[in-house]
Amino acid sequence: MSRPLLEVDHLVMNYKTEKGDVSAVEDVTFTLHSGESLGLVGESGCGKTSIAMSLLRLVAENAVFKSGEIRLEGTNLLALSEEEMRQRRWNDISMVFQGAMNAWNPVYRVGDQIREAMDLHFRPRLSTAESNDRIDRLFNLVGLNPAMADRYPHEFSGGMRQRAIIAMALSCDPKLIIADEPTTALDVIVQDQILQELKKIQAELGMSIIYISHDIAVIAEVTDTIGVMYAGKLVEIGPTSEVFARPRHPYTFLLLSSTPSVTGPRRKLAPLEGEPPNLLDPPPACRFHPRCPWATDRCRTEEPKAEDIGGGHLVACWNWQEVPEIGAMIK
Amino acid sequence: MTDLIERPELPEGTADEVAQKAARGASLWRIRWTLFRRSARSNWKLFRANRVGLAGLVIIAIWGLAAILPTIFFATGYWTNTVYNPVTGLERNPPTITVTLVAEKTDPLREIDLRDMLLDQRIPDDLQIGETFDRPLQPAPPSLRHWLGTDPLGRDITSQLMHGARAAFGLGAIAATVTVVIATIVGSISAYFGGALDSLFMRLADLLIMIPALAVLIVLGAIIRFELWHLALVIGLLGGFGGTAIVLKSQALAVKVKPFIDAARVAGGGHAHIIFSHLVPNVMPLSFLYMMFTVTAAIQSEATLSFLGLLNVKTSWGLMINLANTEGYLLQGGTYWWLVFPAGLAVTLLAAAFFLVGRAMDEVINPRLRRR
Amino acid sequence: MTRYFTRRLIQMVVLFLVFITLTWFLLYALPGDIVAQKFAGNPNLPPEARQIAIERLGLDKPIHIQFADYMTDFFRGDFGTSFNQYPRPVTDIIGERLPRTIVLFLTALVTYYWAGFIAGKYLAWRRGKRGEVAITVGGVGLFTVFYPWFALVMIWLFAAQLGWLPISKFLDPGEWRNAPFGANQVFMRLFWTVAITSALLFTAQIVASKLRDLGAARLVRWGGTAAVIAGFLYYWWGLSGGVEMRPYAGDIAQHLLLPVGVLTLVNFAGIMLLTRSSMLETMSEDFILTARAKGLSEKAVRDRHAARTALLPVTTSLVLAVATVLDGGIITETVFSWPGMGEILVTSVTSEDIPVAVAAFSFIGVLALVGHFVVDMLYGVLDPRIRVSGSS
Repeated sequence: MSRPLLEVDHLVMNYKTEKGDVSAVEDVTFTLHSGESLGLVGESGCGKTSIAMSLLRLVAENAVFKSGEIRLEGTNLLALSEEEMRQRRWNDISMVFQGAMNAWNPVYRVGDQIREAMDLHFRPRLSTAESNDRIDRLFNLVGLNPAMADRYPHEFSGGMRQRAIIAMALSCDPKLIIADEPTTALDVIVQDQILQELKKIQAELGMSIIYISHDIAVIAEVTDTIGVMYAGKLVEIGPTSEVFARPRHPYTFLLLSSTPSVTGPRRKLAPLEGEPPNLLDPPPACRFHPRCPWATDRCRTEEPKAEDIGGGHLVACWNWQEVPEIGAMIK
Repeated sequence: MTDLIERPELPEGTADEVAQKAARGASLWRIRWTLFRRSARSNWKLFRANRVGLAGLVIIAIWGLAAILPTIFFATGYWTNTVYNPVTGLERNPPTITVTLVAEKTDPLREIDLRDMLLDQRIPDDLQIGETFDRPLQPAPPSLRHWLGTDPLGRDITSQLMHGARAAFGLGAIAATVTVVIATIVGSISAYFGGALDSLFMRLADLLIMIPALAVLIVLGAIIRFELWHLALVIGLLGGFGGTAIVLKSQALAVKVKPFIDAARVAGGGHAHIIFSHLVPNVMPLSFLYMMFTVTAAIQSEATLSFLGLLNVKTSWGLMINLANTEGYLLQGGTYWWLVFPAGLAVTLLAAAFFLVGRAMDEVINPRLRRR
Repeated sequence: MTRYFTRRLIQMVVLFLVFITLTWFLLYALPGDIVAQKFAGNPNLPPEARQIAIERLGLDKPIHIQFADYMTDFFRGDFGTSFNQYPRPVTDIIGERLPRTIVLFLTALVTYYWAGFIAGKYLAWRRGKRGEVAITVGGVGLFTVFYPWFALVMIWLFAAQLGWLPISKFLDPGEWRNAPFGANQVFMRLFWTVAITSALLFTAQIVASKLRDLGAARLVRWGGTAAVIAGFLYYWWGLSGGVEMRPYAGDIAQHLLLPVGVLTLVNFAGIMLLTRSSMLETMSEDFILTARAKGLSEKAVRDRHAARTALLPVTTSLVLAVATVLDGGIITETVFSWPGMGEILVTSVTSEDIPVAVAAFSFIGVLALVGHFVVDMLYGVLDPRIRVSGSS
C-alpha cells in the first residue's frame, strides 16, 4: 500500500467564544491516498467545513487546535510556521470554495487573479507568455473560452465563474483539491456538468479531491470513499458503494432513508427527528444518542470507538448490528 | 360584519390581531399605527444598544432643556430682562476691576498698556505709568451672577447660549422638515414614473450636489437679507432637491418592486393613491433618518453664515464667535475662554449629537450595519 | 469608455452654462443703485458724470443685451472691470487668485484623502471592531466641529500661544520690503516646482506598481523617488534662481501650513471613518478568503485585495467632498485672510462688487464641476463594473 497523501490523526478543534468552547471537530481520523476522492457529508454545522479550513489552516481567529495532527506526505501541517504553511497553500492543497462565485475580486481581471497565484508559487517565476499559455490550457481543461481570461468576473455567468475557480484551483498543480459545496448555488444541469468536469480532470491529472457537501446524492456520484459527519464527529467512513448499499451507522441510515428514490424500489421513509446538538454543550458519550432509535444505556455513557467491519468500512456505534437494510421498517 | 363565532382576545400587536382589525374594516392608517407601536418597542431596544446614539439623544435633550429654560427664568423673575436679555441686556452697575497702567503687559486682566489706554474710551488718556484705574469689568469672567460671564457688550453669555439653542432647534426643524418632505415626494415620484420626470429630477439633484452649498448661500445672502426662517427654507429647498432625493428615490425604487404595490394597482389604486398611501409611508423611515443629517448640516450652515455676518439674526452661536473675533478676543483665547469656547462647543456638540442619533437610527433601519 | 467620457464632458459644459446664467441674473438683480453707490455718490459731481458712468458700465442697455455682451466677453476671457478696484480688470484679479485657491484645495483634498484612507485601512486591519466607540466619537466630533471656530482655535493655539506659525495672511509684509520678486511670481514658481515634483513622484509609483520584475519595480520606485526629490532640492538650494527666491518662497509656504493643515484635519476624520467601515465590510467578503488561501501574505491581502476594493465607496464620497472642501476653503481663506477665490467671493459679495462676484462664483463653480468630472473618471478607472456598462 503506497504511503498515504493525507492523514488526519485524531484531530480536535474548538472555537473559543464568549459563552464557552464550541467543540467543532472531535477526534476525527481518516486517510486519503493519492488519486483518491473522498466525500464528507453531514448537516450544516457538523464540522465538515471546519475540517476543510483546518487542512489549509485558514481557520478563524478564535479557533484552537487542541490535539491531533494533519499530515501531508508525512509533514504535520499544524506544526509549521505561517510562512511555511503559506508556501504549501495552493501549491500542495487548493480549494474550491462554497459560493465560489463571490470568490473573485471584482476589480481585477480573472486571468490576473490566476496569475497572482502562480507568481506566488512557481520558482523560477513564469514569464508573461508562459503564464498566459498555462492559463489558456487551464481554461480549456475546464471548458471555458481562453479569451475570457482578460475579462472581469462580473462578465462571467455563475457557472462560468465556478469553472474558472476550478481552473484557478488547478493552476499550481496541487496534490489535493478541496471542493466545499462546489455546486450548491448552481442549477441542476450546471451542477451535473461541473461534477463530470471534476471527475474527468481528476482522472486526467491524478490528484486527490475531497468533496464536502450536505447533498449525499451529489457526493455519491463522484467519490470513491465517503465519510459521514455528525456534530463534529466522523461516525462512518467507507467505500461509497458499500456505505450507500448498506449503511451501518444509525445516522447514515436515517439520512439515506429520508430521501425517496426516484428510480429505485418504493420504500418506507424514516425521517430524522429532533435537531443537531448544541456544540457548546454536546451530549455525553455518543453525540447522536438523543435522536437515535437504537440507543442504549451504553451509548449514553461510553464513547463509541471506530470499529473496522471489513473492506475499509469503519463505524463508530455500539449497536451498528441492529441497523437494518435500507427500506426495512424500523420499530 | 358581526362575529358569529366567539373570538378570543389576542395579545396586542400580533399578526392575527392586525388581520382581525383589517377584517373589521379598520383603515390603513389604523393598522399602520398598530404595526408602528409594535415595531417601535423593538426598534427602541435596538437603538438603545448603540451607546453612542444614546449619548447623542441625551445631548439633544440637554440642549432642548436649555432652549426652554430662559422662558422659565424670565417668568419666575430669576432673570430680569434688563440684565439678561441676550441682545440688549447690560449690567447697570457692573463690578469694576482695578487695572494698572504698565509699559509692558503681563497680566491681561489686571494690567493695561498705552495702546489699551488710547483705544478704550472709558480710560482717561492722561494716566501715568503705575497709576491705577477702576475699569468696568467687560467682558466679565464667569461668576455666580453670570454663569458663563459676559460678552464684550456686557450681555450674559449663558442667556445668549440658551437663546441660540432656540434658533438652532427652530432652524433645524424647519430645514429638516422642508428637505424631507420635498425629497420624499420627489424621490417617490421619480421612482414611480421614471422616464423624463425622473431624468429631470436626477439631473437637478446632480447639479445641486456638485455646487458648493456655502458659496451659493453667500451669494444668495447678498441678494436676500436672510432672516433665520428664510435661511431654513433655502437650506430645505437645496437639500430637498439634492442628494437626499437621490437616496430616497432608491428606497422608493426598492419598495416599488414589492408585490403589494402590484396588488394595490390591481385593486384599482390610481397613481396618487399608490404614491401617497403606499410608496411614501414605506420610504418614511429613511426620511426620518435623513432629517437628522439635515439638522446637522443646517446648524453648521447657520452658524457659518452668522459668523460671516451674512445672517440677519439677533442672537446665534455663530454671531457670538463673530463678535469675539471682531473685538479681537479670539487671540486671547486663554484669558477670555468663555467668549470663545462655549459657543463653538455648542455648535459642535449639537451638530454631532444629531449626526450620532442619525447613525444609530441607520443601524436600526439597515440591519446590515448592526454589530453582531 | 470614451463615450462615457464625452457624455460627461458635454454634461459639464451644459451645467456650467446654466450655472453662469443663473449667477449673472441673480447678481445683476441685486437691489440698489450700483452707480449711485459706487461712483456718483459725490453730490459735487455734475449729473453728466452719472450718465457717463452708466454708459461706461453698459448699464443703460436692456438686460438681455447686457447678458449677451457679458457671455461673449466671458468666453473671450474678459470678465469685466471690478467696481471696487476700478479700473482693474476682473481677469487680473481672478488670474492672481485662482491658482492660490487651487493649491489650497488640491493640497488639502489629496492630503486628507490619502492620510484618511491609510489611517482607516490600518485601523480596520489591526483593531477591527475594538475601540469602535472611541474612534467613532472622536471622528464624528472632528468632522462636525464648527469649522470657523475650530480654525480660530487652531490659530490661537499654534500661532498666538505657541508661536510656531504665522497668524494669518498670505505673507509677512515686513520680510518682503526689499524683495526683488513679486509675491505672485514667487508663488507660481513654488506652485510649479511642487506640482511637477508631485506629478513625477506619482508617475514613478504607478510605473513601479505595473512592472512585473520585482527588482526593476523597486529600482523605479525608490530610485525614482530619490531622483525627483533630489531634483527639487537642487532647484531650491542649488540653482541660483531658486536660491535667491527661497526665503520668500519659504515665507509663503509657512503661511500656507496652518490653513492647509486645518482644512485637512477636519475632513480627515470623515474619510478615516468611512474607509474603516468600508474595509471592515470588505474584509468579510469571500474573495479575501480566496486570497489568503492562495498563500498571499497578510500585507498583500490587505493592500492588494481588501484596500483596493474598499477604495470604491470611499471614492464615491470624493464626489461630495469636492463641494465640501471648496466650501471649507472659502471659510479657511476668510478666517486666515488668505487672498484666494473664496476670500474675494465673500468680500465682493458683501461689498457688491458685481463683476468680481459673478466671476468668482463662476470659477468656484468651474472648480466644482471639473473636480466632479475628474472624480467620476477616476471612479471609472477604479471600478471595472462601471466602465463596461458605461452608465453613471
